[in-house]
Amino acid sequence: MATISPAPPNPTAEDLPTSATEIVQPKNEVQQDAQAEAPKPISEPSVFKNSEPIREDQVQNAVKFLSHPKVRGSPVMYRRSFLEKKGLTKEEIDEAFRRVPDPSPSAQATSTNQDGQVKSPSNIQPQAPTQALQTAAAAPTGAISPGGSLMRSRFHWYHAVFAVGLLAVSGAGTAVLIKNTFVPRLKSWIRKVILEDENDIVKKTDAKPSLAEEAAAAAKAAAAAAADVAKASQEMLNSKNNEKRYFEEFMSLLDVQVQEMKSMNNAIRKLEGQTNYSGKTSIANREDHRVSMTNVKQQYTNGKVDFDSRSVRSSSPPAPVEPSVAPHPKSYMDIMAMVQRGEKPSNIRDINDQPPNPNQQLSSSRFAPRSKPWEVGQTQNGSSHVLQSEVNAEGLNYMVQDDGLNHQLENESSVPWWQRKNVRISEVDNEDELKSGPNGAQTHELPVRRTWVPPQPPPVAMAEAAEAIRRPKPSVHNEQLAGDQSVSRPSDVTDELQRITKISETGSAEEINGGSSVLNSSEIQEEKEQFSEAN
Amino acid sequence: MPVFKTPFNGYSVKFSPFYESRLAVATAQNFGILGNGRIHVLDLSPTAPTLSQLVSFDTADGVYDLSWSESHDSLLVAATADGSVKIYDTALPPTANPIRSLHEHTREVHSTDYNPTRRDSFLTASWDDTIKLWTVDRPTSVRTFKEHAYCVYNAAWNPRHSDVFCSASGDCTLRIWDVREAGSTMIIPAHEFEILACDWNKYDDCVIASASVDKSIKLWDVRNYRVPITVLNGHGYAVRRVKFSPHRRNVLASCSYDMTVCLWDFMVEDALVARYDHHTEFAVGVDMSVLVEGLLASTGWDELVYVWQQGMDPRAV
Repeated sequence: MATISPAPPNPTAEDLPTSATEIVQPKNEVQQDAQAEAPKPISEPSVFKNSEPIREDQVQNAVKFLSHPKVRGSPVMYRRSFLEKKGLTKEEIDEAFRRVPDPSPSAQATSTNQDGQVKSPSNIQPQAPTQALQTAAAAPTGAISPGGSLMRSRFHWYHAVFAVGLLAVSGAGTAVLIKNTFVPRLKSWIRKVILEDENDIVKKTDAKPSLAEEAAAAAKAAAAAAADVAKASQEMLNSKNNEKRYFEEFMSLLDVQVQEMKSMNNAIRKLEGQTNYSGKTSIANREDHRVSMTNVKQQYTNGKVDFDSRSVRSSSPPAPVEPSVAPHPKSYMDIMAMVQRGEKPSNIRDINDQPPNPNQQLSSSRFAPRSKPWEVGQTQNGSSHVLQSEVNAEGLNYMVQDDGLNHQLENESSVPWWQRKNVRISEVDNEDELKSGPNGAQTHELPVRRTWVPPQPPPVAMAEAAEAIRRPKPSVHNEQLAGDQSVSRPSDVTDELQRITKISETGSAEEINGGSSVLNSSEIQEEKEQFSEAN
Repeated sequence: MPVFKTPFNGYSVKFSPFYESRLAVATAQNFGILGNGRIHVLDLSPTAPTLSQLVSFDTADGVYDLSWSESHDSLLVAATADGSVKIYDTALPPTANPIRSLHEHTREVHSTDYNPTRRDSFLTASWDDTIKLWTVDRPTSVRTFKEHAYCVYNAAWNPRHSDVFCSASGDCTLRIWDVREAGSTMIIPAHEFEILACDWNKYDDCVIASASVDKSIKLWDVRNYRVPITVLNGHGYAVRRVKFSPHRRNVLASCSYDMTVCLWDFMVEDALVARYDHHTEFAVGVDMSVLVEGLLASTGWDELVYVWQQGMDPRAV
């Protein structure tokens, strides 16, 4: 789907120029946050889209890159990936692709005048047929990724073998030709000569028997010589064939040796851990073994690409700043070696992990979803609004249900060990500060209290809170909140949420975001106030 | 601090969003190269610092990641090395599990994430370069996002925008997607090397962290994505996973092939707040509890799962 520009982004692309000016300017200023976020709660999340206008210089560079003949032959995916890594946005990449004419004759890109210079070298090259040839020839050579050189060298090696094969075949062919045509011709010519000579001899027997005899002798000698030559040439041909055979055997032996050397090289590299990245090693190894060992019928749609890219990556020359590879555990290397040899580790069992009943009904969920700590004061999702008040109510239920677990704690007067140490320290302070509530109830509430975070109070209360005498740490005092306050909460929840909604809609989202920690402290203040009120 | 020994090498650990004391661990035999897998559902004992196993599920191939459902308290989604996505119901007996096995990916599924806002869908990211969107009730995927040029290692939902997620890939880019759009909405060439993990800041919905093979973690603001907000250096090898704190806007945890789990506060000059070196092999999974502030869990190839409170020593008894 990569290069097709689908319908949905187009309307937003039109919106981009209008909003771009708004956003480009604030970018230089500090208030970009507020302005960029102002439309956010109302309409689509434009923050998560590129709002920059298309940079013409980047597009020009991209077009130059794409017009390069070697790049032309590479898969589209590689080209896109390269441009993405250079930091071009999707729109810029699409624009560059649009400007560079497609090699295939059917798709003619609209060439803009701006890139006339860039496109002239590409136009000089002849059109589709030779371009097709070029792509075919360049396809094995063209690779944008850093390991392109390796691809080329592999191609050359391959090419060399192919050339040698061709030569051998042609040599054999000519030998056969010679054998089949030249030698019979030679023989027939010799026969002809002999016959002629004989005829001559017959004709001239009276006249010049000696001459004829000599001629005959000469002819015979010539024939014998020719026969010898023929024999010699045949022997040479045979020897040539033998040599060719030996040569081919030799080549195959060399190939085998090269393979072995390569695998040894890989093994050494892995052991030394010099050029491979740790993540890639495991991935490269996994890909290696998955291809060979898996028994599930899977289509590796990108299998070939992955293989190439894997080998590209594992043999690419070290980059200037190269992360060192983490030394793998010895047993990991053992297992890798085993797998590469084709052995299966002995501890693997055959397990059937298919669902026994593919239409199995889910068990009924026992608890309602709980709100997240960061969702307090959240106004983005309408659903979460309702959910929160529900959750708050059900949070109580949960607390009640969990009492069964915590009653034990109450008796033992201990807190689950996984609560923060600070909690225990502040517990001591709390006892002094809070007027009522038995310790047991306190501790009993504490672990459960964590489950329900009260909503943030409105900013108005913040100002009051800021003037409060006590300034507790937010994280510590979150756990101090007693449970009975929660009873009064549900009615307040919606009110406070509404107030927060108003504030966020006026565009002070940053306030809320930045003030969440402040809100924490204010919330605690209000808790304390309410608690004291309750008392 | 409790420790749990798994028979296989650990790959991922996740706290349950419903039960404070519950977590699940994904493991794979033979370091995940070739072999079976197992999912453990563990429970923290409130009185003694121990981890006990509630139930475990065996799989034919290694399990690389898992994710708890946000709508159903006992559902687990597992990403396995044979390309299948399996759904388990821990409330049902092991003989009735898995309840679903969804096989669409053509390569290993490397990560899965459940939508925390909509709570009805989840993502899977695979080495077949695609990300798929699923719901529990459908037997086939809802959407397939295919744009990355190489393996996708991680996909994470935005904690505030229910349709936005980001993905980290071996093609060295971070991509931001919107489910309502056909393709990615933003491409961030975050690192020069493969990006193994990404996560959103829970309190600033425009900040993403990316963890890479180049040993660094970079924080990006999507509104100004050409330059990272900050670069966190300190790991000795590739950073495998990164997780923002659900309780503090400035805090994130990361685990790395240098066998440590690090805690960072990126608003502070010296960002490294804590370093835990309890693992003796690659630390591959880390999680911060949503329900209990400061509670961390990690697992690694040393077949151990640790749960500890921030500030304490994971190996303390």
